[in-house]
Amino acid sequence: MPKRRNVEDLPPPKRLRMTPNGHLDHISRLSDELLLHILSFLPLPSLLVCQQLSRRFHVLAGDSELWKRQYYSRWVRPRARRLPNARRALLSRSEIEYSPRVSTWLDHSHLAKEGVATNWKRQYRLRHNWSRGACQVTEIEFPQPLRRQMLVTFCAGIVFTADSDHGLRAWAAEKPGQCLARSPLAKSPSRSLPAPTAMAAATSGPQQSLIDVTIGFEDGCLGVYTLDTTNFWIETRFAYVEGTGEAITAMASYSPFLLLVSQHKVLSLYETITDEDGWSLTPRLLTTLKADTILEPISLSVRAAGPKIVASIVYSFYHIGCGWSLGIQELQFGLDGQQLSSRLATTVDCQYGIMSPTSRSRSKRDYRTTYVVGSGNELNTRPPGPSISHYEPPTSVSYSHPYLLTSHADNTLTVYLVVSTSTSLSVTSCQRLWGHTSSVSAVQVSDRGKAVSVSSRGDDIRIWELESLVSSLGGHRAFRDGNSIRVSPGNRADQRHDSLDLVSESSQGQLNANRSSSVDNTYGLTRMHNCVGFDDERVLLLREKEVGTQMLELYDFT
Amino acid sequence: MADTPAPYSGPMLTFISGDGVHIECERDVAERSLLIKNMLEDLGGANEEIPIPNVNEAVLKKVIEWCRHHKNDPPSTGEEDDSRRKTTDIDEWDQKFTQVDQEMLFEIILAANYLDIKGLLDVGCKTVANMIKGKSPEEIRKTFNIQNDFTPEEEDQIRRENEWAEDR
Repeated sequence: MPKRRNVEDLPPPKRLRMTPNGHLDHISRLSDELLLHILSFLPLPSLLVCQQLSRRFHVLAGDSELWKRQYYSRWVRPRARRLPNARRALLSRSEIEYSPRVSTWLDHSHLAKEGVATNWKRQYRLRHNWSRGACQVTEIEFPQPLRRQMLVTFCAGIVFTADSDHGLRAWAAEKPGQCLARSPLAKSPSRSLPAPTAMAAATSGPQQSLIDVTIGFEDGCLGVYTLDTTNFWIETRFAYVEGTGEAITAMASYSPFLLLVSQHKVLSLYETITDEDGWSLTPRLLTTLKADTILEPISLSVRAAGPKIVASIVYSFYHIGCGWSLGIQELQFGLDGQQLSSRLATTVDCQYGIMSPTSRSRSKRDYRTTYVVGSGNELNTRPPGPSISHYEPPTSVSYSHPYLLTSHADNTLTVYLVVSTSTSLSVTSCQRLWGHTSSVSAVQVSDRGKAVSVSSRGDDIRIWELESLVSSLGGHRAFRDGNSIRVSPGNRADQRHDSLDLVSESSQGQLNANRSSSVDNTYGLTRMHNCVGFDDERVLLLREKEVGTQMLELYDFT
Repeated sequence: MADTPAPYSGPMLTFISGDGVHIECERDVAERSLLIKNMLEDLGGANEEIPIPNVNEAVLKKVIEWCRHHKNDPPSTGEEDDSRRKTTDIDEWDQKFTQVDQEMLFEIILAANYLDIKGLLDVGCKTVANMIKGKSPEEIRKTFNIQNDFTPEEEDQIRRENEWAEDR
């Protein structure tokens, strides 16, 4: 609004609009600016109502700046008040005030990309839907390949599947079922194809418009396939680099670095170097570790931390005192591939409650709390008994610094907080998460603290916001359930749940047990394979349905 | 002209409304309007008549009445603080003040915007916002005589688009 105007500088006179019933429409005389000012005083439901008034109001009440303000007061300010660190920093400015600069908001820099206008109404709705688990689910059925599992990964809104029958295929997450691109796994069809055993994807290129998909094969070979997302062309930049001859079982990539584990527990870190011709790549082995003691499940990750590349492996092992624990091996490299350090931390101390910052702030009541399953007080118990102990190995592990999560067959998740400084690596706190009512088979966590977990029958998918948990780990209050949100697809009214009642379960369970005796937890019609991944808009799950079919489920929160 | 002239010895100003009526006003009251305040600063206290061509007598008197009542309010900080925006509470005097017909209410908003009187503009806009709140689209259209220029299909589509928030 201009602050100064000449008295003579008149706005053009507005024509009064006459409605058919002869009354005057005074409100439409106001400028857009003034109407937006009025709308800025309205709560969100009224804004949505105003969008239904007329074309003009539809545009005005959908104004991105209005919604940005609504987004701030609904999602940013309440959180800023809650987080203790932020409270200290912000309350000194007396009031946490709205600022149009998103960079001043907590953890919202990803919404303020350079030169890209954010649609704040869309962001609000997305956030709203996540907070309620409201989404639309789409299922894509795949015939299961004969020899091996189909591999699935999710990166930058694109779903990649790989199997020896159909090669590598890319699917749009926005329009499930639409195959964007495909490529045979081998360059020459004459070569016999080993089955793909591991897959990893990461964006690369100057605009992050390329996605490098790396596939490991059962004979230890590697293939790198680059999808150009501007024209959906897959470039097989090289294939079949001779490896160790053992199947590659797990991979993680952060272009151009590649971390992989082979069947015989050899951990190798490669740097893939583009050859002079620009078409082929040569992997350069940076380091390799023999790791006999590590057990499944494991989680690999490679990330950039300032001028360093941090490759880490999280693995399970059995500790005599506190049962199944996790170890983290972290390898730090310079960008030139020079190894800087290698260090190890485990969750054992943390499971005993040592080193936890909570040990100083615990209340008296907690001293007499002993280990009771389900009491919810495990966090604050004291040695000699471990506060968290697992008698069975976790069903899955997910690590996205600083969050480390494990899922368990006893209906719980455990979250650990990993602290990696220039001098040390440690696990500072841990806590059980309650909310699932059946065995949890998979969990995935993102670096912003959002986690998705799935029950082994796939009928209970939960979303966790761990950021508030991190602040409560340091305080007196335990994180309670209710902080997880159950995903409830609007277009599937619990029909699956009904079909999975006890009667059908017993008969189908028999069938399944005969079919796959090696597979544990098989007592339902369908079995969750794993949670493939999620981004800001969608969750992708892979479900093994019946004999010979696999189902990809895409939960869309937009 | 003021109905109840307060004991005031400062300089007086004369406005000429859009319909040619001369209205006297105390300078400190008139300075609630940033437009007038800045103009007076630029002109340096010249004792001239100030034409306000697009505000008529009735509206101008109403505006001066508001300024007189609020002349001792702390000046607005300029930056919009969020707590103010959250609430559509209007104090009792202002509520009575805005109990006017719609034509007058919107004239006041236009005048407040033109004269740059932030407090009055907010009171006016909040009053309109309160008239919108809690109503159905049809009720709002009826209140303000807004013409529905959507086709039935469009209307239906927009309703479905916004269904996600209905369980709030």
